[in-house]
Amino acid sequence: MKVYVLTAALLLTISNYALAQTFDTQSCEGKVLFESSNRGRSIQSALDKLTQNQIPGAVAAIWDNNGFQIWSSGYAKVENQVPMESCHLQYIQSIAKTYLAVSILQLYEEGRIELEQALTAYLPKQISSLIPNAEKVNVRMLLNHTSGIPEYNYDPRYVTRLLQNPNRVLNPEEYLKYINGKKPDFEPGERYAYRNSNYLILALIAENITGNHQIYMEDRIFKPLGLVDTYYRIEYENDYQGRLVNSYWDRFSNAHLENISVLQNSNVASMIGDDGIITTPQEALTFLKGLLEGELLKPETLDIMKEWVLRQDGTPAYGLGLTYSKFLGISAIGHSGGGLGSGCQLYYFPEEDLYMFLGINLGTVTESPIHTKAEKILEEIYMAILK
Amino acid sequence: MKSTVILMLISLLMAIQESLAQSESINDYRNFPIVLSLQFHSLAMPFKDFRSNFKNVGIGIGTEVSLNGSHDWVQQFDFVWIKNKGIGNAFHISSQAAWRPMIGADVFTEVKLGLGYILAKHPSPALIQKDGQWTSKGKKGKGMLTVPVGLGMGYYRYSEDWFVSPFLGYQLLLVSNYNQTLPIVPQTLIQTGLRIHPTY
Repeated sequence: MKVYVLTAALLLTISNYALAQTFDTQSCEGKVLFESSNRGRSIQSALDKLTQNQIPGAVAAIWDNNGFQIWSSGYAKVENQVPMESCHLQYIQSIAKTYLAVSILQLYEEGRIELEQALTAYLPKQISSLIPNAEKVNVRMLLNHTSGIPEYNYDPRYVTRLLQNPNRVLNPEEYLKYINGKKPDFEPGERYAYRNSNYLILALIAENITGNHQIYMEDRIFKPLGLVDTYYRIEYENDYQGRLVNSYWDRFSNAHLENISVLQNSNVASMIGDDGIITTPQEALTFLKGLLEGELLKPETLDIMKEWVLRQDGTPAYGLGLTYSKFLGISAIGHSGGGLGSGCQLYYFPEEDLYMFLGINLGTVTESPIHTKAEKILEEIYMAILK
Repeated sequence: MKSTVILMLISLLMAIQESLAQSESINDYRNFPIVLSLQFHSLAMPFKDFRSNFKNVGIGIGTEVSLNGSHDWVQQFDFVWIKNKGIGNAFHISSQAAWRPMIGADVFTEVKLGLGYILAKHPSPALIQKDGQWTSKGKKGKGMLTVPVGLGMGYYRYSEDWFVSPFLGYQLLLVSNYNQTLPIVPQTLIQTGLRIHPTY
């Protein structure tokens, strides 16, 4: 009898573990949105093509002279065939850097931080001593990625530990051990090189100044813009009333997708500053629109945010938390995000006066044969949106 | 975790001490022992994150044959079932040439290198899309070549009443072609087990 009980308990443990790999995402509006204009049909058709080419779920949203419009295709959770909907919460990954940059610049406007001040002025010694070249790196260099501080996720110890321990949530300070003692990539201010470490350090600075930079961001960004479905420093294993999308990853680059919702969730729940936000497409657009229309920063501060550092070929690269990019030759400012289980883009096209959000729930940080086809289809989406 | 390692080391040191006390054993190496082992696996850099190893215990079976008259070169053959809920379970088959110098009377150390093949599963069922429809492929994963590199030590005393020899080892598996972004992935195994020498 004991054997049966033990076996049953073991099986239950195993099945619980298997079930725990996914999140119980639910349908939250009961319909897939569709807009019947020519452009709407083109965008929907391209999104459908994306999800017929092994992308689990995709969502596209724009905000232009005609107002806000959104399209979606595929699944927020493939296993239960829960359709991707506008109300689902998306991992926006590195787009969180723009939010944090705004928080830092709000502190700058309040006179609580100086952009040219060394980071050592804002961090306790036990933290700043872990950062290479800490005395020479100032806040602006962190914001525009010219610090030369090495990337924490280039350390193979970090990558292996992350993959091996999908349930482990790291403390922010733990990330610093992956850059502690490393040689700087270059002298501070010498050139531009995008590094997540810069925004991790900025978040620690914001925390030190405000006491709780999550609350500061909520009070100074989310509340003024009325963002009620945007969450920073997400809670591990919280599926937000079934609205958080499931995440998928092509672990072996063979187009076999693994549901990595737990790994994705613990990873995003661990990160501060460089990542850590979930939101709806509409609220992501509301944020960028509010920022660029001057609802969050003074005009002169917004101008500072758009002071671009240049790539080695002389083209504009990055401001303070904003990327300068081009889609089909059309200039755009905003940010992209990529993670193990997600990929997204949030951009404003000044020439078209149009805001765009694109999101998928497939990982984009490791290569997959799925991406090759998807990149071509993405161009069709840009074409449909921008034509 | 630390206590497990310490216990293993104490057991091995006690065996070494005993061997030093009882010298004069006859070195008559026996081919084709049955090698049974516990294998603690992790996706980790070498000598890092030992805690993860002890979360993932698998089992191994193998054998070996001497390559020379002094028996300090042997060829090993191992089949290991790796249990790893973090990255997925796996089967690993390998053959390694081991150089096995003796230290003390009955204690050996070893350095080994070889080739292997790992059949790695997904930690949760994988999905594929065919004709626009998603279907589950189960946990079936991918086969990959490995280069196992190992260090070890053990106790080997040859007498009629002593027919098992304990050992402790550490293996680094360089797993090739894990995915397009990570062409080589390090995995580690802490191994402990017994070589059993039956009378054939």
